[in-house]
Amino acid sequence: MPTTTATITLSSSDLLTDNLSLSSTMTLYQDGTTATGLDEVTYSRHNIPTGTNFDLIPESAALTEDASYVYIANKTDDVTYYVIVSINDEVIGRLYGGDWMFMPWDCDLSAAANDSSIEIQAYTGENIIEHALFHNGETLLTAADS
Amino acid sequence: MATTTATITLASSDIADSNISISNTATLTTAGTDTGLSEFTGVARKKFASSSNIVLLDHGLTGGIAQDVTADKSAKVYIKNINDRGDGTKYVNILLVTKEIGRLYGGDWMFIPWSGGSGKDIEFTASDTTETTLEYAVFYE
Repeated sequence: MPTTTATITLSSSDLLTDNLSLSSTMTLYQDGTTATGLDEVTYSRHNIPTGTNFDLIPESAALTEDASYVYIANKTDDVTYYVIVSINDEVIGRLYGGDWMFMPWDCDLSAAANDSSIEIQAYTGENIIEHALFHNGETLLTAADS
Repeated sequence: MATTTATITLASSDIADSNISISNTATLTTAGTDTGLSEFTGVARKKFASSSNIVLLDHGLTGGIAQDVTADKSAKVYIKNINDRGDGTKYVNILLVTKEIGRLYGGDWMFIPWSGGSGKDIEFTASDTTETTLEYAVFYE
């Protein structure tokens, strides 16, 4: 099984009196396992125009395995540009140009439709967004004309 | 103003035919500016042994961090489940109020922006009553 790691390093030499240096590495495993790595990934880049709230990662019966992780980066150069990232109608926060986020995601179909979809809306101007979804168990949808 | 950076590296040599190596560094700034965030809760650690819903970051307060974190400002939240992974079935559900974000298994971490707003707490629910330890920190303006 694949091994995928995610490492964060938070550092500052002048936020506190002493240096701040925090680092953590995790391995992305499947739910209910001790050493079986997630084995599927999508990595995309989008230009997000203003004026519409979009599904960035729509919930899907194909994505209901319990352990998934999402990375989203705002690659826009202008720091006044931002996107609001939400889970359906619950706002997580704003990613300004240059920001990134990483979080677990539970695609939960038990509640209302689209209740766990990750949504995104751009402000100030068109934002360039990259995102990755690490997961397992996805089943491709049958083609409508099959 | 302070300069604080957050760097992520996502790496795998075998999830695809070619190596995946995603690396990104963000400088934590106030909303829409190049000015560094200057306030920090410090890294806190909380132990609990309950499967009830628990408020980690309370946004219903009238003072302190709760008052400072609003949607038109900038705040970043770091949370880590310090427990060992164990058999891989124990986790904490991280929620925005009642909306589930996802599961942090033992050893997992997350780093997200936080708009906050009245009553917009960050909460968690453990999968069982095994003692669990979370570390968390908020950078804010």
